[in-house]
Amino acid sequence: MAEKIKILYLDDEMDNLTGFKATLRLDYQVFTAVNIPGAMEHLEKHPDIRVIFCDQRMPVKTGVEFFEGIRSTHPLPMRILITAYTDIEAVIDSINRGNIFRFVKKPWVEAELISAIEEANKFYQANSMLAIKNEELQKAYSELDKFAYSVSHDIRGPLSGILGAINVAREMYDIAEMKEMLFLMEKSLKKLDTYILSMHDYYSLQRGELQICEIDFRKMADEFKDIYKVFSNTSNISFKVNINQREPFRSDTIPLKLILNNLLSNAFKYQSKNNDAKLVELNIDVHKGVATIIVSDTGIGILGNHLGEIFNLFYRASSQESGSGFGLYNVKSALLKLNGQIEVNSVLNKGTTFKVTVPTK
Amino acid sequence: MKDLSFIIIDDTELDHFIARKVITNANSDFHIESFLSAAQALEYITDDTNDQGIKIILIFLDIYMPLMNGFQFVEEFEKLDPKIRKKYYIVALTSSVEASDINLIKSYKSFRARVTKPVTADGLKTLLKKVSKE
Repeated sequence: MAEKIKILYLDDEMDNLTGFKATLRLDYQVFTAVNIPGAMEHLEKHPDIRVIFCDQRMPVKTGVEFFEGIRSTHPLPMRILITAYTDIEAVIDSINRGNIFRFVKKPWVEAELISAIEEANKFYQANSMLAIKNEELQKAYSELDKFAYSVSHDIRGPLSGILGAINVAREMYDIAEMKEMLFLMEKSLKKLDTYILSMHDYYSLQRGELQICEIDFRKMADEFKDIYKVFSNTSNISFKVNINQREPFRSDTIPLKLILNNLLSNAFKYQSKNNDAKLVELNIDVHKGVATIIVSDTGIGILGNHLGEIFNLFYRASSQESGSGFGLYNVKSALLKLNGQIEVNSVLNKGTTFKVTVPTK
Repeated sequence: MKDLSFIIIDDTELDHFIARKVITNANSDFHIESFLSAAQALEYITDDTNDQGIKIILIFLDIYMPLMNGFQFVEEFEKLDPKIRKKYYIVALTSSVEASDINLIKSYKSFRARVTKPVTADGLKTLLKKVSKE
């Protein structure tokens, strides 16, 4: 059953509070207060209170004054004024100053209370949905801006390079020089290709649904061993893998592989050029329904003041290798989908360690 | 040619290759220094012992680079001793069609010109004419 809607009733007459609670407590979670400090305490403790009832005639402040006071501090709950007399001045005042959603006349009828609560709840839900959607939209817009900027550089950059090369080639007669240029052109195109593939990852992470299945980390690690074997041999980087899985683990393969692949490719890519004992280590330990994945390298490390930004879209903390600025952002998005966490530890010129924890589904 | 030399700052090797080629095609005697990162280039020009008595040094500066981008480079450059600064003529190199970038480039007085990538023989000729007039 869904959780009961939380409502708060503020009235200086204890009898009213008791009657109110007795009437509604079965269907709603009712909080009551005889004075404003009491009401404020409930609001602080339960920020998810959806509907506030308040008596208009109270000793220190009127109901309207109370509502006016909490308008800015607690804008979300719907406000309903309970009043015994209805003069038009009070009504106008309460709507304008207290932003009241409804009035309930004293003495109240149960049906009227319930309908007021249900109506208020609908408004509350619509408002909260709107706030959430608004936030998502803001985020989407700001990413779209970043994208437009990045597209004009990261896609147009390599393309204009290739065009420039073709231009230069018209007056080039030395084969060796031509080959050197072709090599650089290939490098630029590969970079562009990586960018587009990562952009695809980005999109599928934002939109796709999870597909949960049994995960065999040993098998997954073997695949990565195969992928990185060539790289490990040609670049003289040892690759140590240690898997400890004695219990079943359920998750989505695609984001999980994306996380591993990005962390491993960074670990291989950002190695110190003049280190004799280059090493990349992958440790996976599954214990009590949590997979702990540790990827560590003996690479160039990340400066402390860049660490906070490496998970940002299009942020790049090194110019040593070509990167798209997508990788770690995608890792973070993937972890968000899997309810996972990531920590990073890095020492400049010594190496970097990423620790990822993912719960089973 | 002893009174003009070049520094290229760009994180893309292919763009270095092209710029270098276009410059040497124009005159094979031109001296060219290449830097893949703006920070290294800044270190180089700050060190005044690299002075070889060249009158004017054209800096082709890529705008979009990781870590230190073209704008950050220019901000650091503007803090340097005027004696050093006056030897350099900074040209913004951009593949961008973003109006915001172009306006930002205009807002720095140290950017003396802007060239769209890729650098071409004609583009270089026009630029050199502009430099010799100033």
